[in-house]
Amino acid sequence: MNSTIYKKKGPLVFFLIPALLFMAVFLFYPFIMNIANSFQRITQLGSSAQGMNDPWYANYQKLFNDPIMGTALKNTMLLMLATIVFEVGFALILGLLVDNIKVGTQFFRTVYFFPIVISATALGLLFNLIFLYNGGMLNQMLVKFLGLSDYIDWKDSNHFLFTMLAPIMWQYVGFYFVIIVTGLNNISGEIYEAAAIDGAQGLKRTRYITLPLLRNVLSTCLILAITGALKVFDLPWIMFSTGIPLDESWLTGTYMYAQAFVFKDVDYSSTIAVVIVVLGVVISQIANRVFKEVDY
Amino acid sequence: MESISAKKVSEKQPSRFKRALRRITAGKVVSYIVLSFWALTTIYPFYWVIINSFRYRGQIRRDSFSIPWPGSEYFTLDNYELAFGRFNIPNAYKNSLIISITVTVVVIILAGLFAYGLARYNFKGKKFVHSLVIASMMFPVFCTIIPIYKMEVAWGLASSREAYKSLIATILPQIAGNLSFAIIVLLGFIKSLPVEIEESAYLDGCSVFKIFFRIVMPMARPSFATVAIFSFLWSYNDLFTQSFFLRLPNEKTVTLLLNDINSQAGTNYGLMASAVVLVVIPILIVYILLQKNIIKGMTVGAVKG
Amino acid sequence: MKKTLALALVVLMMFGVLAGCQPSTPAPSSPSPDAPPVQSDEPAPPPVDTNEPVELVVVTTYGGDDGNRQNYEAAYQAYEVATGNKVLDASDTSNEVFKAKVLTDFETGSEPDVLFYFSGVDSNPFVEAGKVVSIDEIRAEYPEYASNMKDSMLANSPADGKKYSVPVNGYWEGMFTNVKVLEAAGVAIPGADYTWDQFLADCQKIKDAGFTPVGVSLQEVPHYWFEFTIFNHGNVDNHLDMPENGTDAVAQKWAEGLADIKELYDLGYLPVNTLTATDGDTVQLVGDGEAAFLIDGSWKIGWFEQNCADHLEDFIVTYVPSKGGDRKASDVVSGLSSGYFITRKAWDDPAKRDAAVKFVMAMTTDDVVSAFGATSVTALKNGTTPPADASSLTLSALEMLKGTTGAVAAVQDNIPPEIRGVMFNDLKNVITGSKTAATLIDETLAAMNNQ
Repeated sequence: MNSTIYKKKGPLVFFLIPALLFMAVFLFYPFIMNIANSFQRITQLGSSAQGMNDPWYANYQKLFNDPIMGTALKNTMLLMLATIVFEVGFALILGLLVDNIKVGTQFFRTVYFFPIVISATALGLLFNLIFLYNGGMLNQMLVKFLGLSDYIDWKDSNHFLFTMLAPIMWQYVGFYFVIIVTGLNNISGEIYEAAAIDGAQGLKRTRYITLPLLRNVLSTCLILAITGALKVFDLPWIMFSTGIPLDESWLTGTYMYAQAFVFKDVDYSSTIAVVIVVLGVVISQIANRVFKEVDY
Repeated sequence: MESISAKKVSEKQPSRFKRALRRITAGKVVSYIVLSFWALTTIYPFYWVIINSFRYRGQIRRDSFSIPWPGSEYFTLDNYELAFGRFNIPNAYKNSLIISITVTVVVIILAGLFAYGLARYNFKGKKFVHSLVIASMMFPVFCTIIPIYKMEVAWGLASSREAYKSLIATILPQIAGNLSFAIIVLLGFIKSLPVEIEESAYLDGCSVFKIFFRIVMPMARPSFATVAIFSFLWSYNDLFTQSFFLRLPNEKTVTLLLNDINSQAGTNYGLMASAVVLVVIPILIVYILLQKNIIKGMTVGAVKG
Repeated sequence: MKKTLALALVVLMMFGVLAGCQPSTPAPSSPSPDAPPVQSDEPAPPPVDTNEPVELVVVTTYGGDDGNRQNYEAAYQAYEVATGNKVLDASDTSNEVFKAKVLTDFETGSEPDVLFYFSGVDSNPFVEAGKVVSIDEIRAEYPEYASNMKDSMLANSPADGKKYSVPVNGYWEGMFTNVKVLEAAGVAIPGADYTWDQFLADCQKIKDAGFTPVGVSLQEVPHYWFEFTIFNHGNVDNHLDMPENGTDAVAQKWAEGLADIKELYDLGYLPVNTLTATDGDTVQLVGDGEAAFLIDGSWKIGWFEQNCADHLEDFIVTYVPSKGGDRKASDVVSGLSSGYFITRKAWDDPAKRDAAVKFVMAMTTDDVVSAFGATSVTALKNGTTPPADASSLTLSALEMLKGTTGAVAAVQDNIPPEIRGVMFNDLKNVITGSKTAATLIDETLAAMNNQ
């Protein structure tokens, strides 16, 4: 921004300091402690360190030799891709559709929000019952309507990816939908009116007016999708806990949690947290750069 | 406000029905089919939760997809009676609202200021600050909670056995936790606002602060409403932070209390379903109230007015 | 840039402020852990003025919808009425987050006055820090403290071998059996002389009749089968021995036990989806009459009473089959795993010492303990008395306990929780054959020695 208003940097302190203070005390400082933890030995969350690791970077070494971490990263990258394509993509489509209708907008906006407000515990139970092996909703339907002779184990090696990703996709579409709809509403009606005079209507309008104006919002969604995929935890944890089946379904978020609360390797969990943060920042930067290159 | 409604009315007045009919095109029909299909998938789980909150305990895993009609042997109000009978639910709602409203208000103000500064000013280290915000969005709360807890005990805030101090002890880290998300989202929105309006206001002699509070905030009102909704939602649902700082019965929030009721091995699903209903109601109310602010045309009206 | 500098300064100052706050945290009044338990030269605190009501902060695991929540509330309210003291109850449901909170409290000096907590390795951090008071030290002043309990049954702290906690009710592990399924498959109800061969034959019959013989989720809770199959290759006296390496006699015993689970898995006696199902799913199979056997703990009685109330008579608790070794089928796994601790902080506070001691005594009287768990293992000298309205399943469990010929604690509790979790998560790899038992034992031992 090269506007003359923002040449004088004095007020900047006032804008930035209050939030920075909060973050410094309640986020940066604790996370610096967390980085320190990743070099120490801690066997129970809440208990103090029992000394430094030997060598002090032992956890980072372990990380590179940990096959489960590899699985978790692979799955998470897959999830990230799926998030960007399906969640953001579908939310964008729904957002554009809702933006173009007159009747029922309020209704759709309200009901699309439902999946985000219902607790993960309840959704996890629901999906577990839908995908249940014995008499789950899906298996019953398959047997009844498609005449399948055997139930499908939706959590086995062949099916777990779908069973894990579908509910996450479904749950977060509403989240991106709300953000995109907000972005659409920030586009002033006057621009559309002007566009209409110039003959831009329907898909043309979407392509040449709406999407470019939505650019900043979409780049926000991209960052949220990337960071979100790296830390997603609750629904997959309830449905797949410790890597069902046979350690195949781990995600970075669930693995970090399990290390802290199940395997009680708090320092290793801290190490994974550091990796997640670093990956998140790096990938968001790359994605942002790529996104900027994309021409409209 | 008036200008929008005026606009809407003028738009819709001349023989609304005819115009609507004329507008029905294949595209519209497909739109509605897609939208309705998605709506079905999102309504169904909510419907499922509600019917199961009236189901007799032990019946959910066996048969959760039928309707427990009132009067049938599986229908029961026990789950709600238990929730209200054993716990002080009104007080819990009060605590929840105090926490979540405070968090929401502080977050949108601080994040708004920060995002505005970051969006409009160029300064050394801007990229670094931006990365810092993205990074902090991924700090897992269970990594940061223990240092925060120890710090707040040292300040005499946490674990003081005084309800209001415990509430503050919960609010502070929650504010910080929601800030980074709010900043990232607001940043995207504020960047999209046309600078020209701010410039003309500046030429009219407005100070930067006036521009922020009088121009940017009203113009980005839908964005602030959206951020407010999510801040509220996450503060309200944040079981982990709450459970660390709120331990005594009179400090508990709705989310905590209802989680307490059905925590044991997660077996009483009917109770869980009723808990979900009780927890969700306030969020939906807040969402619907704030949603009014995300209505199209608001920005235009605000700038003109 | 001046502004950035200013900004950096402010942030730095903040850290300064924080750093200033830090030291005051760990310091307060933590007595040296090796202080003599009885401070004889110190005059005993003057008899407490009982007119002064005391506020006692109590943390227990009887929070949420714990089966004993109501019993607990009734008991502490009776104490409040009797003494005029006030109980500030910060109880919670026991899980890993709860444990983290308790430990953080001890670290920051904000621990409660009385704590009901696990007496095994979980209590080590605060026992080692000298933050709780031993029963001996309390008895020096209150000789009647925990006098209704058998001393031999009070848990020794794994940290220093001293006794710190007064237990309420313990646990046992046994085999929950769906009798309906047995009838349908034409299998006799097993008794105290149940053998592994009979068990395998029964499983085959049950499988042939179209049911799942055993309800177990190998990926989530293989713990009970681990315990009993190992027990089957030893006896009450040597069950708690730990292997020294992956191939010694004890490790051999463990490997044979795991091989037995593998046998069940290979023969198809476990649920088809035992590697992907949750524990909730597989327990439900037994509850719904789709599976016959479930090894589980005393706490499962409540689950059946709540979730299978309309056909509770279908279920009994019986003995886990024995496998020709020294273990009789009627030898069970049981123990007392938690109890009331009085913290050093409360003990050193003259206003609270008496109140805390009286509180624990009030919560562990014969009557209260009986109310908390009629079927559970108890340290009471007089034993517990079952309630008059006990359910059929409770009565079945009582009968099973009556016929018990021997009892031993769980050997898995010898393994520190952080290593136990990893081991059990890896167990599925041994059962499916992608890892040998010896490797698993070696890895577990290596992790333990690494401490």
